[in-house]
Amino acid sequence: MQSKLSDIDLIEQTLAGNQAAYADLVKRHQRFVFTLAMRFTKTREDAEEVAQDAFIKAYRNLQAFQGQSKFTTWLYSIVYTTAMTFLRKRRLDTSSIDDENNFIQVENQNAGFENNLAENKSRSFYLNQAIEQLSADDATIITLFYKGEQSLEEIAITLGIEPNNVKVKLFRARQRLKEKLERNLKHEVNELI
Amino acid sequence: MNNIEEQLWNYLDGSCSPQEQEAIAHLIATDKTYRQKYEEIQAFNQELEAIELDAPAMAFTYNVMEAIRTEEASKPLKAAIDSRIIKAIAAFFILSIIALLGVALATTNWSSGTTESVQIPVNFELPAIKNYFSGPALKGFLFFDVVLALFLFDGYLRKRSVQSV
Repeated sequence: MQSKLSDIDLIEQTLAGNQAAYADLVKRHQRFVFTLAMRFTKTREDAEEVAQDAFIKAYRNLQAFQGQSKFTTWLYSIVYTTAMTFLRKRRLDTSSIDDENNFIQVENQNAGFENNLAENKSRSFYLNQAIEQLSADDATIITLFYKGEQSLEEIAITLGIEPNNVKVKLFRARQRLKEKLERNLKHEVNELI
Repeated sequence: MNNIEEQLWNYLDGSCSPQEQEAIAHLIATDKTYRQKYEEIQAFNQELEAIELDAPAMAFTYNVMEAIRTEEASKPLKAAIDSRIIKAIAAFFILSIIALLGVALATTNWSSGTTESVQIPVNFELPAIKNYFSGPALKGFLFFDVVLALFLFDGYLRKRSVQSV
């Protein structure tokens, strides 16, 4: 019964003091919010932290939600700013070991690539791998467009840019993703030969 | 080549004008290069639509709600109490004081008292205040002030260092 309620109904119930309604909202959107956070942080632990912070911020500011845009558009803009703040803070905290971390990340990626050679992986595996290799901006725009059910205008609101810019950025992001996917697949084929 | 791709992506996304849409549809139907590219892009688009979302830990919702509950519980009492209650209590006390003053003033017999009834001793002298500000008492007072100032300054510096972190 609860799952049939719209986001707006759940928000109204939450504002009336029903915390269980907000739990339903979290359950409904947690996978997308987490995926979006993953596009920035690249690790599950950090993504969970960002996603949790975003939901808490959304709860705190729920009264400020006017309902002029979709709840998801509003929520994703919170995730975006939370992730950006997180990355900025992380950069400041770990600037001295950044190079080392990057090295470890690249090493791990390569190790994962080599270790999985024997497995028969689906094309979606390589697609996800290529998305992980994209910049946070490119990965976010692709995720918002394909999985967030967001129009170009809504993505523009979330990212705080012009819709025309979104169109151009989306086109370039898809181009880069395609290149990375092809390179990864080519690498895989060469390794097998 | 890029131009063709861009046109085809716009066609697929539905982000071009009806005239452009019609022109591109015609090109796909008649031009082999367009058709091949379109099929390639369409297949890639379908793959993108099929991307699976990542799932957070099982306890994610519980953790979020627990964090919210903790935050709500740790709200200072001042914020948790409705300000209207505080205003009502303040209004009650102010009205009580005004009523008491009114009753007191209304029941006072102003004509019964005269200034002659107040008797001030003839050789009344104020205590010599300067005696209190000399010797060990003044030193002790200054010492206490210095310690208090240092304590407050230390507290201020600690607060600033916490904020900067």
